[in-house]
Amino acid sequence: MSSHAAAATIDHHHDPTTSTGIPNKKLLMWAFLASDCMFFGTLISTHLIYRLHPPAGNPSPRDVFDVPLTSFSTFILLMSSLMMALAVNAIQKGNLKSMRFSLLTTAFFGAIFLGCQVFEFNNFVFEKHMTITGSILGTTFFTLTGTHGTHVAIGVLWLCLMYVRSFKSAEPQPGDHPWLGNILHAVALIAMILLGMKLVLSFVWGFQEHGFTGGTFGAVAGAQWAVIAGLLVCFGALRWFAGQSGPVQFDQHNAIDVETMGLYWHFVDIVWIVIFTAVYLLEYL
Amino acid sequence: MSDVTTATAHAPGHSVEESKFWIYVQIAMLLAVITGAEIVAIGLPFIKWSLVTALVILSTVKFMFVIFFFMHLRWDKVFCTILFFIGMVLAGGTMWALLQLFGSEASKPLSAASTTDAPSAFVTELS
Repeated sequence: MSSHAAAATIDHHHDPTTSTGIPNKKLLMWAFLASDCMFFGTLISTHLIYRLHPPAGNPSPRDVFDVPLTSFSTFILLMSSLMMALAVNAIQKGNLKSMRFSLLTTAFFGAIFLGCQVFEFNNFVFEKHMTITGSILGTTFFTLTGTHGTHVAIGVLWLCLMYVRSFKSAEPQPGDHPWLGNILHAVALIAMILLGMKLVLSFVWGFQEHGFTGGTFGAVAGAQWAVIAGLLVCFGALRWFAGQSGPVQFDQHNAIDVETMGLYWHFVDIVWIVIFTAVYLLEYL
Repeated sequence: MSDVTTATAHAPGHSVEESKFWIYVQIAMLLAVITGAEIVAIGLPFIKWSLVTALVILSTVKFMFVIFFFMHLRWDKVFCTILFFIGMVLAGGTMWALLQLFGSEASKPLSAASTTDAPSAFVTELS
């Protein structure tokens, strides 16, 4: 039977083996997300309340915030949600290759969002002198957006682990240590994301400080040669791991795992939709 | 008859699964357009309360599209929707109560600056 036919016989939205008819993993994730709503609700409320009674000397958010940058990161997060939805769609149809591509793209967009947040926080602290302990605005802002950023970072880590898991061999050879390969695979992917973020941020800060010139590019590339070398090594390792062909223990029956992870990722997106409006945009009215 | 044809005949939801790809792409484009409209809206010379209302509505639309389509609530059992909205209602109620409590004049801290008109109006609009 083809993978398309097999996929069509699986009902991904209902599970007759549970008393609720909902897969247990999905039910657990929805319950967690409902509780996380309250968590973020209180953080957003706290930020808005302290905007109501700012102490003297509190910086004005209009002087601190950078709407174009935040708009860009919002767009990136929306696109990551699209790729996550496509990853779930792909594995539900048994298309493993497409799912892997979509998972990697989602992790890539998540890393861009985190990079924007690092850039923003760095700018606030060192350029605008708004720290987490320096003002009420800084405390509530960094706590709220930092908590959200932590959620995104956990999501990126989860995406990487799911990507690696999709390579788990269905026929391990005697004497093999598949867990060792999986760990090295995950380390290579996570290291590549972290090194990539560091390199891109170094270029951005270099261009910001010395202008967008070939000389600046060469200087930053020279200073970051170890990072670039690390990136190439990680890329080579990822190519090697991806080239290990053979049957894997990952198909449309694992769609519920990808879908549960997708629910978490989309939740991070909807929280940002609220933060973008309540924390950033309303300040400009 | 091939396997694929047989499976399609037995699974009425299959065409929905096939078309989800384009549904997702269209929704993502719509969300991007709405985000652009929000950014443009804050620069328009309209009355403040109308802009606040517009922003809240646009955010709510984005929120609903993501949870019902990307998060599959539209196709899942209604219990998932109820469960999530219990959390949403509790969170929304907590936010409303906190903003009402701390938005009142009596709750203003003595250490607060005298120039609180702009932020007060800001939160009044929200609540």
